[in-house]
Amino acid sequence: MAEHARFKDLVLPHLDAGYNLARWLSRDGDDAEDVVQDACLRALKYAGSLHGTDARAWFLTIVRHAFYDWCRRNRPAEIAHDDGAAVDAAVANPASGPEQMAMRGAESRALSDALAELPLQYREVLVLRELEELSYKQIAHIVEIPIGTVMSRLARGRGMLQRSPLLHAIRGQSSGGEA
Amino acid sequence: MNCHEAATLVAALADGEIDGLRGRSLEKHLQGCAECAAKRDAIVVLRRRLRDEVSYHRAPPALRDRLLVALATAPVPDATPPRRARERWRWLATGALAGCAATLCAWLIGTAVIGWQASEDLAVEAATAHVRATLGNHLVEVASSDRHTVKPWLSARLDFSPPVRELPNKGCVLAGGRLDYLDRQHVAVLVYRYRDHVIDVFVRPESSRTSAWAPRSVRGFNVARATGGGMDWVAVSDVNPEVLAELLGNLARDGAAS
Repeated sequence: MAEHARFKDLVLPHLDAGYNLARWLSRDGDDAEDVVQDACLRALKYAGSLHGTDARAWFLTIVRHAFYDWCRRNRPAEIAHDDGAAVDAAVANPASGPEQMAMRGAESRALSDALAELPLQYREVLVLRELEELSYKQIAHIVEIPIGTVMSRLARGRGMLQRSPLLHAIRGQSSGGEA
Repeated sequence: MNCHEAATLVAALADGEIDGLRGRSLEKHLQGCAECAAKRDAIVVLRRRLRDEVSYHRAPPALRDRLLVALATAPVPDATPPRRARERWRWLATGALAGCAATLCAWLIGTAVIGWQASEDLAVEAATAHVRATLGNHLVEVASSDRHTVKPWLSARLDFSPPVRELPNKGCVLAGGRLDYLDRQHVAVLVYRYRDHVIDVFVRPESSRTSAWAPRSVRGFNVARATGGGMDWVAVSDVNPEVLAELLGNLARDGAAS
């Protein structure tokens, strides 16, 4: 039962972080629960393999792996074609007009949608940086990419969000309101 | 710092990844450059909005409860390391063992080849010395069938005293002795006559490299080697190998007995 106690100490404090990452990656509550449950079983199995002190980064790495395995089984197209081209196209040629966007209501909803629409590779680094407040080094470790790639993906992801037609709609509306 | 340098660092500054001298230099630049400062501000604004407006999804209480129940009933996980790690160790161990075996094999073959080569060299050298002595009419330096004459003569000229036997009952007569040079050292040679054959027996102190071998043929001569009595015995003759081996065996054995 030592593994169970260790699991409770290591994983349960970071369950929210794991669920948040899984939720943003899968964009669905039920799917996120499946991913987190799978991740917990893996964490229980490999609790002995954690030697460092950064249990949160360790658990998030497991959650991310569990998500990608789940994604390969259930939405293989999302990984295969998720290179950002679609978002760039949407940015260049907004399909929905500012009026429609304004009708969607709250700004937060628009920003959430914009983040959710980002390709996986940009979404995951932004969630880890801005919501989990992890360092470049931790992100590089979790996503298994060099720090330089973390920085370039963050820059690209932020650029996409800042240029998102969803946000432009809001910004245009709010700046109009202030004037 | 100029705008070009600053461009790549602004995000890192906004992310709290730069401090110290570089950070101060960059901040100084931002104070005087509205364009670069705007880039930093855009990142900071975006962050604030993400944290304010985007949901941080906390794990539903139901999920937490379900996990705790599952945990309570879950079997204790296998404590052995994951299969891949175990296999990797097995491959490593197999590789190491194979390496050791190959090294041992190479060593055994190498020493066998070197040993065989050394034996062959010694046999050829002994046969050559025998031929040289026969052709040069230099076969016997001390001619006597009396071992009490031959032995002191040899002992006086060497740093060892070879056992000398007469062996008359074997049809083999001691003809005398001489000094020769074999395998980079001075050796005693006992010369016997067996019917019309001459038998040279080279005697020298036994060393760690000494090994006995059955008669082998070198250019028609038979060469045999034996050990006994602390001596290394090499016999060369044109008699048949069986007689040579028997004679040499008697000499070495008697040498051991004396």
